[in-house]
Amino acid sequence: MWTLAFLIFLSLVLGVGAWLFFLWAVKSGQYDDPEGPKYRMLEDDEDESKK
Amino acid sequence: MATLTCDHCQLTFPERDVVREIVNGKEHRFCCSGCRAVFLIIRSEGLDAFYKNRTWDSPGTPVDQQKKVDAGLFADDEREVGQNREIDILIDGIRCASCVWLNEKFLSRTDGVEYARINFATHKAKIRWDPGRVNLDRILERIQSIGYMPRPYRESEQFRQQKAEARDLLVRFGTAAFLSSQLMIYSIALYAGYFQGIDRATRTVLEIIAMFLTLPVILYSGMPFIRNTFIGLRHLHFTMDSLITIGSGSAFVYSVYQMLSGGTVYFDTAAMIITLILLGRYIETTAKGRASETIERLSKLSPREARILSDAGAADLLSAETVMVPLTELKRGNLVRVLPGELIPADGRVVHGESEANESILTGESLPVLKTTGSSVIGGAINLYGTFVFKVTNTGKDTFLAGVIRSVEDAQAKKPRLQILADRVVGYFVPFILVLACMTTAGYLLTGSPANSALMAGISVLVIACPCSLGLATPLAVLVYTTMASSRGILVKDGEVIEKSASVTHIIFDKTGTLTEGRPSLREVVSLDPTLDAAYLCRLAASIENLSEHSLGRAITAASDDVFLPVKDFRAVPGRGVTGLIGDRLIFIGNRTFMQDSGIIGNDPVTCVDEMSLSFEKAGNTVIFMGWDGKVRALFIITDRIRQEAADTVTALRSLGLETELASGDNRATTEAVAAAAGIPQAHPEMSPDNKRRLIRELQAAGKRVMMIGDGINDAPALTESAIGIAMGRGGTDIAMESADAVLMRGDLSLIPYFMRLSRRAYAVIRQNIFWAFVYNIVALPLAVSGMLHPIVAAGAMAASSLFVVTNSLRIRKGVKT
Repeated sequence: MWTLAFLIFLSLVLGVGAWLFFLWAVKSGQYDDPEGPKYRMLEDDEDESKK
Repeated sequence: MATLTCDHCQLTFPERDVVREIVNGKEHRFCCSGCRAVFLIIRSEGLDAFYKNRTWDSPGTPVDQQKKVDAGLFADDEREVGQNREIDILIDGIRCASCVWLNEKFLSRTDGVEYARINFATHKAKIRWDPGRVNLDRILERIQSIGYMPRPYRESEQFRQQKAEARDLLVRFGTAAFLSSQLMIYSIALYAGYFQGIDRATRTVLEIIAMFLTLPVILYSGMPFIRNTFIGLRHLHFTMDSLITIGSGSAFVYSVYQMLSGGTVYFDTAAMIITLILLGRYIETTAKGRASETIERLSKLSPREARILSDAGAADLLSAETVMVPLTELKRGNLVRVLPGELIPADGRVVHGESEANESILTGESLPVLKTTGSSVIGGAINLYGTFVFKVTNTGKDTFLAGVIRSVEDAQAKKPRLQILADRVVGYFVPFILVLACMTTAGYLLTGSPANSALMAGISVLVIACPCSLGLATPLAVLVYTTMASSRGILVKDGEVIEKSASVTHIIFDKTGTLTEGRPSLREVVSLDPTLDAAYLCRLAASIENLSEHSLGRAITAASDDVFLPVKDFRAVPGRGVTGLIGDRLIFIGNRTFMQDSGIIGNDPVTCVDEMSLSFEKAGNTVIFMGWDGKVRALFIITDRIRQEAADTVTALRSLGLETELASGDNRATTEAVAAAAGIPQAHPEMSPDNKRRLIRELQAAGKRVMMIGDGINDAPALTESAIGIAMGRGGTDIAMESADAVLMRGDLSLIPYFMRLSRRAYAVIRQNIFWAFVYNIVALPLAVSGMLHPIVAAGAMAASSLFVVTNSLRIRKGVKT
């Protein structure tokens, strides 16, 4: 019984953590440009002219 | 004529226009010197990887066609960020990931620019710079120098609301999804216990946790549904929302009761219904948001300012000082100066100067109209080549333009919102289920069951009846549909378009700018002198017209081989024609009056030249005469050319079983000639904006479903009145795009048959989805009534129907011929 209660508690804590992370992501605009990252990842960083 | 493809903008162009440049021993070809300049700039910055990486499916805009942007338009949008300044702007012309890359790299290499990042989906750029080292003017110039167009970014109130709504839905859905996934863990444990046996205390603990996880899903995530249900209930109006509220609410109540009395719980059903439907709503809102954002970006480009003369008594009106005032402050009697290429800001009468105006978007008249002192001008028309000053006679509500806008608003207010199929079905389904539930309860009571178990049987009917895949049925199909349409260059404003266009029976085309290209071009040169061939005559005329800026003259120049002979004594007679000396020939080019004035055509009316030219004019062309030494030597037949794809489009539409008609503001001869060339059986000439609208209203009153395709301001009321309006994106007007339900981004008519097939296909899929979403539940209903439904079967059926709807929606992608 004890193990069960502990596991339930643990899963809820993890879940709430994930939920808070999700709320943060929405608020900080992570969902605003879902297209971009897949292209940016492929760009070469050859910015030698930039200090 | 041989054609080449521009190495920069990928436009196909005639070989004679080519601009060449040798780089590293390799020859590059461009359609204009602007494109070459951009190519060289990009190369000199070492960014030519752009040309390798880009994936364009259609050519871009040649750089030459763009005007320099006015930094003043952006001034209000700048803001301070610490030491730096920042702005959000839109960059027009971005069509692939490489464009974004190019702009970002190019901007961040500009001295003084600290940060530049562009959103791939919206093309909105955030740029931050150090005001000590660079200014906004320079940044905008840099963007233009590589062939893109910066535009001010303004959000309308409506758009801001839509974005807030989408974000609210995302949070509600995310929360529901998180809780449901937690809930599933306990539900699976409970289901396992159902088969294998579970000790009573553990089950109660799991059930209580499940209940507390479900509660916020219903009360927070499901709040919009609950609210709408109560609003609808007041008018006994059942919608999708009432079905969701009744379904999930009764599942919850039933489960709480079962939990207390030791039966099986349905908490997962209650939560899943809401989660899946929120997902559907979120998908729908984002798909809609993206299209309206692009349409908003296309429109709202017209100036909202006029250049008025500060001193009305100035000696030289054309060079007197002017101030810019917003259109709202323009008053009757103001003198306004209009430069070449600008929109005429209001209705008025020309007091000084001379030009031509393109009024085709307002009136459908395909040829430019001469404006000299005393001519009236219409606000919204485009001034072509000259500068003139006019006195404002009408402002604000009294202008022609405002009249059209009123008509659009009027039509909008009267346009019934289509009740989409799912809502219609639900409207019958909900009362049916409520009655069935009551009858079940009554039945159990009559057969002598105790009141509480009779009530529970009734509630279980409500639980089983709620088809949660229904919430996904339409949104997913709409998402696939809008994505496919926009990848072809058709922007769709909302999902209603599917149903509206799938049932269209009639298609009405506008003429100027829709079926035709909307600008005059040379169709034919008729030589009247057997010793001279058409090419030579065309070169003579082009050499003289090259010095004029008249738009009909330009049509001749554009069609020539660009070899110009030296011209002396050039003179232009407004409204008549031009004359010049080539070699020892004094050549006159112009209309019939000009030929009579200069003694080339005699005044007696019936000559063979006259007969010939009249027959061309009757067929809707404009005829320009060229003559010297008292004789007409050639006729230039100029016409607003019909789009290449027009006739094929009409044929394709008719093979889909659609009737086509043409409605134009232009004269009878031209309209009928274009209709005949496109293969359209019926033409309505000389239609005012209101007449077009009336034509559509009458057809629709007679039971037809009308699709209107147009580009001009004069089409806007008709676009709104019709069941579905489609506007031309390139060259089309803001008002037309705002009034329409869908926009053809590239103005390519051949997309219309594709659009029709896609809509019909998507509509068929939606109907199948709705049918199957209900079938699962209807099969389960008798079992629920008899009280024999296994909970695992109910859960399985729910998952299966959702899965079916998802895969079926993806099927829209297949099976639509291009």
